[in-house]
Amino acid sequence: MSSTLEKPQIIAHIQKSLNYTVFDSRWIPCSAKFVCMGNFARGTGVIQIYEIQQGELQLVKEIEKAKPIKCGTFGATSLQQRHLATGDFDGSLNVWNLEMPECPVYSVKAHKEIINSIDGVGGLGIGDGAPEIVTGSRDGTVKVWDSRQKDTPVVNMEPMEGETKRDCWTVAFGHAFNDQDRCVCAGYDNGDIKLFDLRNMSLRWETNIRNGVCSVEFDRKDINMNKLVATSLEGKFHVFDMRTQHPTNGFASVSEKAHKSTVWQVRHLPQNRDIFMTAGGAGNLHLWKYEYPAQRTKKDADNVDMGVAGSVNLLQNVTLSTQPISSLDWSPDKQGLCVCSSFDQSVRVLIVTKLNTV
Amino acid sequence: MPLIVRDHTWTQNQNTVYISVPLKGVKTANVHVICTDEYLKVSFPPFLFEIFLFGPINEEKSEARIGNGVAVFTLQKRTDELWEQLFTNIDKDKQKHIREQAILKVQEKEAEKSKAKATRIQQEKKYALETMMKLENEERDRIQKMKDEECAKATAQLDFWRETQRKAAEENENQQKLQRTGTNNNQLVYQKTERANATPAVTLLHNTGNTTSGQISRKQKPKDLPAPRSAGCIKISFTPRVFPTALRESHVPEEEEWLKKQAEARRAVDTDLAELSDLKEEERNPDWLKEKGDKLFMAGNYLAAVNAYNLAIKLNRKIPALFSNRAACHLKLRNLHKAIEDSSQALELLTPAVAANAPARLKAHVRRGTAFCELELYVEGLQDYQAALDIDPHNVALQADTDKIREIIQGTT
Repeated sequence: MSSTLEKPQIIAHIQKSLNYTVFDSRWIPCSAKFVCMGNFARGTGVIQIYEIQQGELQLVKEIEKAKPIKCGTFGATSLQQRHLATGDFDGSLNVWNLEMPECPVYSVKAHKEIINSIDGVGGLGIGDGAPEIVTGSRDGTVKVWDSRQKDTPVVNMEPMEGETKRDCWTVAFGHAFNDQDRCVCAGYDNGDIKLFDLRNMSLRWETNIRNGVCSVEFDRKDINMNKLVATSLEGKFHVFDMRTQHPTNGFASVSEKAHKSTVWQVRHLPQNRDIFMTAGGAGNLHLWKYEYPAQRTKKDADNVDMGVAGSVNLLQNVTLSTQPISSLDWSPDKQGLCVCSSFDQSVRVLIVTKLNTV
Repeated sequence: MPLIVRDHTWTQNQNTVYISVPLKGVKTANVHVICTDEYLKVSFPPFLFEIFLFGPINEEKSEARIGNGVAVFTLQKRTDELWEQLFTNIDKDKQKHIREQAILKVQEKEAEKSKAKATRIQQEKKYALETMMKLENEERDRIQKMKDEECAKATAQLDFWRETQRKAAEENENQQKLQRTGTNNNQLVYQKTERANATPAVTLLHNTGNTTSGQISRKQKPKDLPAPRSAGCIKISFTPRVFPTALRESHVPEEEEWLKKQAEARRAVDTDLAELSDLKEEERNPDWLKEKGDKLFMAGNYLAAVNAYNLAIKLNRKIPALFSNRAACHLKLRNLHKAIEDSSQALELLTPAVAANAPARLKAHVRRGTAFCELELYVEGLQDYQAALDIDPHNVALQADTDKIREIIQGTT
């Protein structure tokens, strides 16, 4: 009994039922507040800011916008400004100052179709280099934006002429360890994962994991790329060891089947890059720990280095709802605190205990 | 008939009677005693000893010790008196009556004892169950308590952290306010020396105050951001598949059917014709004939092209391209009905409708539509053009033609 209580516990601290469909929830850095983004039943978008007070959620602000909002990030803004970059159903990228939300700080019609995923890098005092935002859309393109350049993206990853396009479902920044290097990883609905190197403006690696890729994330954005987790439909996720790239085999990976349904999200713990949580389509959360192998590289037949993938252990799992948990975000300030939202129109604040002893 | 034992011995005192009955070698296990207040019977087959006591005894307090080849009965008298003799002489009926009573009594006692035992067992079971439940509840409560403690601890930590955050934010604000008031004071002095009019100075003051504090904060945290990246474009291609649809949206059964049909069409060469003997080897190949027909069509020799296609169709009736191309020839030759027939035939062969045969279907629809329009059957023509537009919505020429036909229809009706 005691050994089961020594495992990290996932405690649903607060649950709040909302009156709109919530797609994404993010912590506001350096605060006990978070934003929820979604769309009302009347077809308009909404951003709500909540604060945790004495075990309850207080609504601090509600902002309504014309188009439903699919995703948002604080990744590309400074800690003082804390502007929220959102992508909406219309394909527009907007950066909002939440104190004065009437007019966006930066706005551009980024894509022709809905922006499925957004990520930011270079802000919040993490890492070097220019703050940039990447958006991935149903029109098959992935574009990188800089808020100092209006109307045109700084990088555009689009299908070649005549190629049938596939929806891009997820994007993530990584490998941003100095101010020139940066990588963008994009996952598509046909199972393609592509890694773009922005320093060389080229495709660095691609692979296909057969099922549509719902979420990709590097374990840290601001280091030499170490691990990448990609989750997909049909309950599988893959952990790639990104330190060693083999010329033909690419990166080594280990895959795990969990959740028995789509794995919607993966998020790494900001305080420990080997612990991550996956959110599933049956309303359950699994907490995993990655164990490195004894040797991370080995030589293959031609004496070329290739990577060795480690193993993944399930630490804890909990079922919170019957509907998929669509978004998950760890608080960068308090270890173990996270907010998740699900399609049963509710948002939950969770506390995961004992992460420091795991 | 049991053997009656009469060689018993007895002694008595004021309140007890001691009777000793020899067991005559019978095992103690086989000894059976029935004792009531006035009657004692010891049966140890094949022997029997019974006695009708002189006075009443207290059966509960009496005891029997059976062992060592003898049964010793210690009977407590009800009344403290010395008995003249051990037994009373009573007549047979009474004896019988007493015997029966004795047996009944014993039975009752047994029944009571068994009932008492049953209830006792029941109670004990209940008690055991209750204690088990209590233990389990305790265990559960203990675990729950530990969980609640964890939760409370985590909440307390959260509140504490939030408080520190808030305090830090407040301090920051205070500092900024101090800065602002500091700059305000400077500005105030400056403005007063410059202008006499106080009111606009005050409003200007606030604005300049804010901007200077903003500038100061920006100066305090300088960040040399690199310039925005020079625009780049990376072209990508997606993993090729036989059919460019993902597993989850594949029309696999339809696509398989189409592939099978194509394969069959290749194989279905009808070589059972008399005229074939006149033909050269290469002229028996429908593909070669199709190419020949295409070349003749390009050159403008439509009749010859039609001949080539005819022969090819005779050899293989299953290739839709032959019908479609022959329809194009007929269109050029203005054999409109034949063109319609051939494109209909081609469309039939192009089922099931998959992405792979979309261009072929498009062409067939357009040719048939054109033929209909030439025959002034504009409605049917419009249907075909609409179908073609469905396959390829972005074709500008198609859209223009469709609109033209629509106008004509609306013009004539």
